[in-house]
Amino acid sequence: MNLEPVARPKTAEPWARTTARAKMLQIVGSIVPIAISLYAWLIAGVDPIVVVLLILLPTLLISIGTVGFVLKGKRGIPDAALIVMTFYLGTFVMVLLISVIWALTEAGFRALSPHFIYQNNTYVTPTDGLEFGGVGHAIIGTLLVVGLSTIITVPLGLATGIYLTETRSNGRGFVRVILQAMAGLPSVVAGLFIYSVFIVTGISQYAGWLGSLALVPLMLPTISRVTEEALKLVPQELRNGALGLGASSWKAFFQVTLPAAKSGVVTAILLGVARVVGETAPLLLTVFPIAGTNLNLLSGGMATLPTYIYRFVALGFDTSVARAWGAALVLMIVVGLLFGLARYISRPKSLKKKKVKR
Amino acid sequence: MNSKTMNRAFHLEAKDINVWFGERHVLKDVNLQFPSNQVTALIGPSGCGKSTFIRTLNRMHELIPTAGLAGSVLLDGDDIYDDAVDPSQVRLKVGMVFQKPNPFPTMSIKENVISGLKLSGRKNEISNDLVEDSLKRASMWNEAKDRLDEPALSLSGGQQQRLCIARSLAMNPEVILMDEPCSALDPGSTRRIEETILELKETMSIVIVTHNMQQAQRVSDKTAFFLADDNQPGYVVEFGDTQQIFNQPVDPRTNDYVNGHFG
Repeated sequence: MNLEPVARPKTAEPWARTTARAKMLQIVGSIVPIAISLYAWLIAGVDPIVVVLLILLPTLLISIGTVGFVLKGKRGIPDAALIVMTFYLGTFVMVLLISVIWALTEAGFRALSPHFIYQNNTYVTPTDGLEFGGVGHAIIGTLLVVGLSTIITVPLGLATGIYLTETRSNGRGFVRVILQAMAGLPSVVAGLFIYSVFIVTGISQYAGWLGSLALVPLMLPTISRVTEEALKLVPQELRNGALGLGASSWKAFFQVTLPAAKSGVVTAILLGVARVVGETAPLLLTVFPIAGTNLNLLSGGMATLPTYIYRFVALGFDTSVARAWGAALVLMIVVGLLFGLARYISRPKSLKKKKVKR
Repeated sequence: MNSKTMNRAFHLEAKDINVWFGERHVLKDVNLQFPSNQVTALIGPSGCGKSTFIRTLNRMHELIPTAGLAGSVLLDGDDIYDDAVDPSQVRLKVGMVFQKPNPFPTMSIKENVISGLKLSGRKNEISNDLVEDSLKRASMWNEAKDRLDEPALSLSGGQQQRLCIARSLAMNPEVILMDEPCSALDPGSTRRIEETILELKETMSIVIVTHNMQQAQRVSDKTAFFLADDNQPGYVVEFGDTQQIFNQPVDPRTNDYVNGHFG
């Protein structure tokens, strides 16, 4: 017997086999409703939203349902309905997402230029043209304020997540309730709290580190709850395996459980950062936005991207609004870069090497 | 001191073990002695407390919430449940292989073998010889030697289980507890693990839980038969030489069980 492996034939998916008739029916079934809708929109002049909701959706349901019925009998109808609905809702979400990104890119692109990234706004008035000034100081401010906030919150959040999963303490229920309440805390209240504790009492002037503190209670619930979920997903057998080898709970956690949950924990941190990076209200109350660059978190004003956007939109001039859009676009890009970097650093080991599955 | 010299023949001895989960009494008055360099099999129907019992022998039992225990387990004459004893020190001497292979997914094959030494802070004992020796004793060396740096999860289920055995062996334990180590494996892997067990008993004592009567007869020197009546705690019906338990059982229930009449 010849046991040499042979190349995979094109027909290696018998479950995906379709007849020419079925293909014809599917094509006709999808073209007809789209053709009717296009006719109604372009030639009869019906409003496109009405076309989508009242013409395209029902006709698509009917035609796909009919095709499903002809090809598979009764069970083809619910299948077809499900496919159409999934397609619609999926497209709807995609359209929302893409339109946000598109609007931001379109409006922000005008202000974007190399000097917009690295220059600050000293000597630039709101009505000046876009050839001078930029958001460099605000990028640095956001990175510093959010960075300090992350440094403070990550250990707290991880410790809380560990407490909730790795101990059997009776206080866990109470801590969960508190975290839930914290998650519902309006961000302006977090800002007001820091404002009244530090600034009203005269302990400190407006400063970057107060902004970082105001972001902590907003970031903490996200990090700890997502960390908890990530740690819960680590099978108990792995912990037992480590403890069974004579590991202390400490080492079992840091060398086995935590590495196994690494990507989940990184996700937790990312979601925490994403939660606060666009926060405006707490920073308006705690950090005085200035036009120049300030690297000192402990004293002086500091611009951040959200407060920059807020200020320049509020000014209302054509160029200042353009700068605000540009800053919004930069904020999105910065967040995207941070996320990409974190995902790259934390990618699973097995993907770095060639995985051999037997 | 006296008890130490008296119990030399037994590495491990369980005295009057009673176990509860919450208020439920699941094991009653278990007394077993595990002789040095012999294999002891624990048999009995599902739910009779064999797995629970074996976990009391290296203090893995207490990791289950609601667990309770009375009685003592003597390792070389010292009670492992003594207040002064650190459970992780017990588990260094009494290793465990679990029902489901559980290699550490974030580590390579080699890292898995030495993981115990790293986890228990004995890094200075790590050497390539130890990796080779442990894998050889678990009869894994030939399959693993060319792929030591590959992730442990790239191995088949049977290989993963032998890797877990190698991981325990690298710790050089005095006793190894095996909780149905072959229940998820094919006959070929099962045979190789049984051969490994027979080689290992030269240097250590082994306690194995198994549902497979033939396996108990093939590998064990002593056998304990556990049973639990409906809603009653489990207990040991009969304990003796494997040959006697299977061929001339004293208790009729043992006879029925080993001949497959129930369970």
